[in-house]
Amino acid sequence: MRHLDIAVVGGGLLGSAFAYGLSSHGVQVGLIDEGDNAIRTARGNFGLVWVQGKGRGMPEYARWTLASARAWADFSAQLGEETGTATGYHQPGGFFVAISKDEFNHNLKLLEQLRKEAGADGYEYEVVENPALREHLPGIGPEVPGATYCRHDGHANPLQLLRALQEGFERNGGSYIPRSHISEIRPLAVGGFEIFSGDRLVTGCEKLVIAAGHGGADLGRQLGMDIPIHPVQGQVVVTERSPAHLAYPTNYVRKTDEGYFMLGPSARDTGFDLETETTTLRDIVRQCSKAFPYLRELRIQRSWAALRIMTPDGFPVYAQSRDFPGAFSFSCHSGVTLAALHAREVPQWVLAGEIPSAHRCFGLERFDVSA
Amino acid sequence: MNAVPVRPEVAVVGAGPAGMAAACSLAESGVEVLVLDEQPAPGGQVYREVEKVHEQRPEDLAALGTQYRAGLELVRRFRHSGAGYLPRTSVWEITAASEPELAIGTLHDGAAQMLYPRHIILATGAMERPTPFPGWTLPGVMTVGAAQTLLKTSGLMPAGRIVLAGTGPLLYLYANQLLTAGTRPEAILDTRPATSMGALASLLPALAVQPGALLRGLGWMRAVRGSIPVSSRVTALKALGDERVASVSYESAGQSHELQAELLLVHDGVIPNTWLAMAAGIQHHFDQRQACWVPDVRGVGRTSRESIAIVGDGAAIQGAEVAILQGERLAHEVLGQLRGAKGPVLPTPVEPPALRQQRLLQRFLKRYFPPSAYFQLPPDDSTIVCRCEEITAGEIRKVAALGCVGPNQAKAFTRCGMGPCMGRKCALTVSQLMAQVHDVSVEEMGHYRIRPPIRPITVGQLADMPMTGEETGSAADPPGKFASANSSSSKR
Amino acid sequence: MYRRSAAIAEPVILWFEDRKIMAAPGDSLAAALLAAGVSVFRRAPVSGAKRGPFCMIGNCFECLVEIDGQGVVQACSTEVRQGMRVYMPRGQSPGEGD
Repeated sequence: MRHLDIAVVGGGLLGSAFAYGLSSHGVQVGLIDEGDNAIRTARGNFGLVWVQGKGRGMPEYARWTLASARAWADFSAQLGEETGTATGYHQPGGFFVAISKDEFNHNLKLLEQLRKEAGADGYEYEVVENPALREHLPGIGPEVPGATYCRHDGHANPLQLLRALQEGFERNGGSYIPRSHISEIRPLAVGGFEIFSGDRLVTGCEKLVIAAGHGGADLGRQLGMDIPIHPVQGQVVVTERSPAHLAYPTNYVRKTDEGYFMLGPSARDTGFDLETETTTLRDIVRQCSKAFPYLRELRIQRSWAALRIMTPDGFPVYAQSRDFPGAFSFSCHSGVTLAALHAREVPQWVLAGEIPSAHRCFGLERFDVSA
Repeated sequence: MNAVPVRPEVAVVGAGPAGMAAACSLAESGVEVLVLDEQPAPGGQVYREVEKVHEQRPEDLAALGTQYRAGLELVRRFRHSGAGYLPRTSVWEITAASEPELAIGTLHDGAAQMLYPRHIILATGAMERPTPFPGWTLPGVMTVGAAQTLLKTSGLMPAGRIVLAGTGPLLYLYANQLLTAGTRPEAILDTRPATSMGALASLLPALAVQPGALLRGLGWMRAVRGSIPVSSRVTALKALGDERVASVSYESAGQSHELQAELLLVHDGVIPNTWLAMAAGIQHHFDQRQACWVPDVRGVGRTSRESIAIVGDGAAIQGAEVAILQGERLAHEVLGQLRGAKGPVLPTPVEPPALRQQRLLQRFLKRYFPPSAYFQLPPDDSTIVCRCEEITAGEIRKVAALGCVGPNQAKAFTRCGMGPCMGRKCALTVSQLMAQVHDVSVEEMGHYRIRPPIRPITVGQLADMPMTGEETGSAADPPGKFASANSSSSKR
Repeated sequence: MYRRSAAIAEPVILWFEDRKIMAAPGDSLAAALLAAGVSVFRRAPVSGAKRGPFCMIGNCFECLVEIDGQGVVQACSTEVRQGMRVYMPRGQSPGEGD
């Protein structure tokens, strides 16, 4: 029977980053994935490596995000060298565009508050109002009052990131175990775990990382971790290739290396429904073409929906089971932005068997109403 | 433009034989039917432009043959049936089953609109099976169906050195049409494998019930073989040329050959065009014998979604005659569903003898012209599979061997199927190649997930679309009217 | 490559790149260009290889062309119009645009 040092359950952006990082430390790692129809958030990811606006009410998350954004260039270069797959990362800075006065005011207030909360750390951003904005974003719509700019923001290709992580993982000697929907995890009396797909024992392992997105809630419960996540549907629209130039990623629109525009992101509460909804799609293209009217004549090439996982406060969960040490559960919706730290820093927590105190704020205790 | 009913009782997508027959029958029973058609005139691909050819180019009518001429009768019946008809209208989406209301996204004259029928009949017909081989992306390589469409729509005849390659009834039909019009191709490179026992076994029953059709077919084959050199069991087909096709190389009977050609027309049979049905979330399965995906159908045309029916070649490749007969029967089935609340559900109408006879004929044709192995699993790794993003068979085999679990992940990793054609020209090949590498069935390997919009629509057209019950203001015409020419597409 | 079975009675004049094209009323743009001897409609966006119409029924998207004021459309599904100005799509190929 297979017995791994560490099993990672979930082959999405999170799980693949952990598995890639862990496998570079000379331990035997297995990455357990579902099949071709897995609910894969990477496919619906917009591809932003984004700092602006994140972390209100939790300065540690703002810092964590910034640290990942800072590590991304080096991380992406290393991954590209190891695998030959480019993640398409660029960091020209990003514009947070507002398409109405209300939205602009809201964004400015949010950023001001983040600056206050950051205290001595500082929180960098610039405000650029519309006539001046045109110099940076030619073709920006006349209704756009302005935008904020942060030099740490950037973007990457989430699909190529996922591919590179999995290739790097295999190159490090990791075992990819697809077509395995995990239904049960049994802790062993002698330590370690056995992982089952229905009646089939998939593998045994000493340690375990649950990064199964929506499926993670049920698996976590089996190990005494109650992870309050719910799905939020994100929709993304991709246009045909276009010669129009957009030098910066924005919160509404970004241009990919291949020459397509991506329009989004939208979020709506949903069950596990992966169909696109027409009204949402139309609202996305309305907003985006208000921001950039030249998009109007472009043909829509594809649209897709993907489920993002949300915690009640929108911040990540990094937790270790109290009842069954060695079992970790990680979930968050910023799989691209945080990939650098998920590949480099988080694996060390798993190897050490402990989440450092500075990051315990991401634990499950914060949802404990009785606390 | 006249007012378009936003809430027709039944919307039919496609005005080919199946769509017209179903619409006629429903309209004649007093149902409010609206037929949405991408073409400027009814007929579908098989009877495309039959009215225009009849009026303006009677000499082409002779070349196109009796089956084509027969379409005129159905088109005339359709024109007088009372069914609503919206030509030049594309359907880019059908809302998901989870949405509160069944709706169909249309685009006409640059204006997008949602319609809310009670029932939808998909009659989206067939498309030619993908035929990947080295050089098939060169200008001057086209499908036989494309050349035939050019003949029907504009009276275009191939000129210069023409080579036909592949197999299937349509290839021989078209070759015969060319001969009738006085055009002689250089060669037919037939990729059909040796006739199987199954084909021979199905010949007799077909001959017993459909002697006329079979003899007509044999007549064409004989005429074609008498006038055009035919190479049999052709493999290793390649189109060569720098900027456009200049020659064709192939192997036949253990010998390599090369022929000059300025137009290479390929064909390997047709498969259901399932893109709209798949985007609507209708369940499909892989049909081993036909080597293609087909919708799961119960009764005449009921699908996994109660309010959406499928009929004609979009449900299973059976040809125009079956499509007409099935269209009529489907109309009864749908009528039963619509009126079911008020009365007893009508039983599925019995199969008329003509339908059984046609089925026997089709069964023989499918066995006599099975899909070519050479196109199904292109042996040369340099063969482009995804024409849009230029992904080769070798790359698909490589990512599959590296552990890529299925076509959707292959799409994410390689971009195959992500281009403008949305996988129409590579989906089948990618699923088959991956199934081969993983040694599983194509059914198990699965198909690309297809999402709307499945027909071209621009950001501006979607942004300007009014939704039902919405305050539309001056942004667009009120629901219930189709936009008149250029009204909403040019308003900015 | 193709010839017309009948002469054009009342021609529709349009331009492809700098070439004057005579079409018949009701022609699809793809048919009109093919009849005029145009076989290359665009370049593949990845390799830059030349491409032309393949399926003629709107499925393959090989016949994409750019029309003034209309953006990039499928030539097989677009009817000819008097005075239409048609180009190979700009800015969809590597190294183009910007």
